[in-house]
Amino acid sequence: MSTAKAKVAKAKTKKVLNVLITYCILIVVAFVFFFPCLWLILASFSKSGSIYSFDGFFPTEYGLNAFDALFNDTVMYNYPRWFFNTLFIAVMSCILGTVLTILTAYCMSRFRFKSRKAMMKTTLVLGMFPSFMGTIAVYIMMTQFNLINQHWGLILIYSAQAPMGYMVQKGFFDTVPYSIDEAARIDGASNMTVFFKIILPMSKPILVYTALTAFTWPWSDFILPKMLLIDKDLYTVAVGLMSLGETEFARFAAGSIFIAIPIIVLYFCLVKYMINGMAAGAVKE
Amino acid sequence: MANLSLKHIYKVYPNGAKAVNDFNMTIDDKEFIVFVGPSGCGKSTTLRMIAGLEEITAGELKIGDVVVNGMEPKDRDIAMVFQNYALYPHMTIFENLAFGLRMRKIPDIKRDKDGEPKLDKNGETIPVMRKYTKQELEEKVTEAARILEITEYLKRKPKEMSGGQRQRVALGRAIVRRPKVMLLDEPLSNLDAKLRTQMRSEIVKLHKKLQTTFIYVTHDQVEAMTMGTRIVVMKDGFVRQIDTPKNLYKYPADKFVAGFIGTPQMNFFEGMLKKDGDKVHIDFAYSDAKVTVPYSLLMKTTPQYLDGTKSVYIGFRAEDISLDPEIVDKSDAAIDVKISHTEELGTETLVYGDINMGGDGFAETSTRVIIKAGGFREYAPDTVMKAALDINAIHLFDKDTEKSILPRVPEYNFFDCSVRGGKLAFAGNTAELPAAIEASDGSGELYVPVSAVTFDGSIKGKVVDCEEIDGKFLVSIDVNGGRLYALSDSRVENGSVKIGLDYKQITLKIGDRECAPMPNVNSLTGTFVCEKRPETIEANGKTKTRKVAHYYLDIGGVKLEVPPSVYEKMFAATTGRKVYNSTFGYEWSPYDFAVADSGIEARVVGDLDYGAERFAVCEACGQTLYVKTDKPLLGTVMLLPDADKVSVIETERQIRIV
Repeated sequence: MSTAKAKVAKAKTKKVLNVLITYCILIVVAFVFFFPCLWLILASFSKSGSIYSFDGFFPTEYGLNAFDALFNDTVMYNYPRWFFNTLFIAVMSCILGTVLTILTAYCMSRFRFKSRKAMMKTTLVLGMFPSFMGTIAVYIMMTQFNLINQHWGLILIYSAQAPMGYMVQKGFFDTVPYSIDEAARIDGASNMTVFFKIILPMSKPILVYTALTAFTWPWSDFILPKMLLIDKDLYTVAVGLMSLGETEFARFAAGSIFIAIPIIVLYFCLVKYMINGMAAGAVKE
Repeated sequence: MANLSLKHIYKVYPNGAKAVNDFNMTIDDKEFIVFVGPSGCGKSTTLRMIAGLEEITAGELKIGDVVVNGMEPKDRDIAMVFQNYALYPHMTIFENLAFGLRMRKIPDIKRDKDGEPKLDKNGETIPVMRKYTKQELEEKVTEAARILEITEYLKRKPKEMSGGQRQRVALGRAIVRRPKVMLLDEPLSNLDAKLRTQMRSEIVKLHKKLQTTFIYVTHDQVEAMTMGTRIVVMKDGFVRQIDTPKNLYKYPADKFVAGFIGTPQMNFFEGMLKKDGDKVHIDFAYSDAKVTVPYSLLMKTTPQYLDGTKSVYIGFRAEDISLDPEIVDKSDAAIDVKISHTEELGTETLVYGDINMGGDGFAETSTRVIIKAGGFREYAPDTVMKAALDINAIHLFDKDTEKSILPRVPEYNFFDCSVRGGKLAFAGNTAELPAAIEASDGSGELYVPVSAVTFDGSIKGKVVDCEEIDGKFLVSIDVNGGRLYALSDSRVENGSVKIGLDYKQITLKIGDRECAPMPNVNSLTGTFVCEKRPETIEANGKTKTRKVAHYYLDIGGVKLEVPPSVYEKMFAATTGRKVYNSTFGYEWSPYDFAVADSGIEARVVGDLDYGAERFAVCEACGQTLYVKTDKPLLGTVMLLPDADKVSVIETERQIRIV
């Protein structure tokens, strides 16, 4: 009897210990990840503004000067303008990119046509090369189209490149049983109706995922806008912040923090749609 | 509410795999047809071709009177229930049921705001297509839900329902539109055993209520037997047999059907048959078992198998073998069985044994035997008992082709015969042989196919029985003690009758010489060509010159223009320009040739005079052709086949296109 009790007690301690160790590891990892953010946040509240005045890692004096300058001192560095430029490019690329990606993925998942396999393999291989490998080519192409120093040039590139990563979405559509399409088709739906009335409402999680990825890339991209945008007024935030003077570190940090806010908001708004199990109950698994 | 007709339906995949081979069937209105067979037999593919979800490679599918080959599923007025239900997960049950109705428009007449019909200039109503109103939708959905008893779940989502309820919704979605044909693709496979039995009877009830044609696919022979009015048994893409459940069970056309239908499986033994006067000895292989039975019970057996040299499969169902001592004592056909073990099923006991005293009764060999005995009988293992075989219920199959050699409609009538001076003597009758059959004097064998027996002639016989089989009548005729079977379109009363023989179908073997029946198909090979010619056509009062395409069968350089009914099917069955690069087999019956001024050049090599009919034997393009003619032909003639009546076979894939 007593041995049984001892065994239970032992098991309990083991469980507690397990939890304790897990939490310790999690806290350490969380700190490692969070520290740079913390540093950036604190740096943005630095009063002097220059990184050279820091006492080691952290600023010596705190204040809101950097934020004030960011929004009010717009003669040299027009941050609000950059912010809305970025927002415009990101939103447009997000809308266009999502539509294109979803359509591509749906086509690849549902339709059987000649050279489908070849196309899939080609996109897979092309996707392995870093996108900036083609920068020169893109630049030349944009000069031909007369889209240098224009936001639409960027939007076009972002939207056109988005479907290259259609594999995840195709994977999702592949899990939606084909018999649902067939049932709808027998019920009288056309390809268009099947897509819009049946498949799309079932695909909210993947839509949200696609929209988020299609938004974040142009939002934080640096290389393309740096190459294609010339006018300072047309800059995106990433390029704009890079052009700040060396002594403007606090302003840089403040700008960086502010740029993260829309993504965080977007994430919290959309996360509830990213739940799984939308397809539950459709078919017998 | 429609009949279906499937003619020479093929499904060939691009890699050359044939999923469905020459499927022919007519389905009457309100029938409950079950496609059954092991997985991969093509039953689902056939169903999906009817639904329009799978393209038909070749053949003609009609729903009602309309050829629907190229039609979209939605335009075929069919509904389908899927194995995995395929409900729309984001919609409520009501919306799931209503979706099909929302997608459709119904004919109506134009009305004004008050609902009064609007009239055109001539005072007639104007037809329009409109969507279902909300009220109509609700009525129809509620009606369907009521039939399937799911009214209370209409506001739920599919995921909140159990498997059985979901399948009801799927059924509801199908019936709400009142389609012409209901297609069900293994709808019960995902349900547990109890629910399956329940839903089975509910589907049958639904069929009675809706009075619609049902086509049901299953791999479960019990489902097939209990539900279908007719069953299609398929294997490897071929239809093995189409018949009612009772006939499938009693008269399986081949060994596969015999083994597939019925539990426990039919016992198959190997053995040989030897006819000896009015007795037949049945000799079981790998065993000492032998029985002798009267020939009268095996009269329909294809005669070639009765000479004691050909190995055959002998089939008995478990209930046709009895261990009951009373029956065994009376039986003339009892064999020794070594009991190995039993399975108690409650109402009955399955006794496993072996007719080979060295066999173990477990392995599925050609000596193992399963016998149905009454409930809870005890049989000691390893005892040897006498088991009585019910010879009336014997099934015999060819060992290679596995086809039944004791079919319901026998293939041949067999007689010993002799020929003397151009006169054929068989079964106590003599008849004048037509000039076409050249037989030297002697005695031999006569094979008369049942279809070759006609009811006008000089041979006297007595009708002893008339049996209705698939709308035809099999007439048993006693000819001087010999038995002759004939097919008739109408019932023939018992009594004396005069019969004749269609000599072009008979086989006469005298000594080494065999006089074979005349082939009823002439085959030629050729290609398909297109020629464009400028033609003047009148349209809208103007004459235009336009190039018009004409399509020809090219047989050895002779071009034969074909009508659209032929070339459209040839285009449909081949992709792209392949139709112009393929070789085709063209077939005509001997009746479809005309002797003309131009056509296929043929050399006449013989003349077949069957008395009532005369045929010329010709050689053309390396083939022998048989051509119906009124007068003897001589020398070289030009033959013009009737392009409308051609049968086209694509040689590469071996599919019948027309």
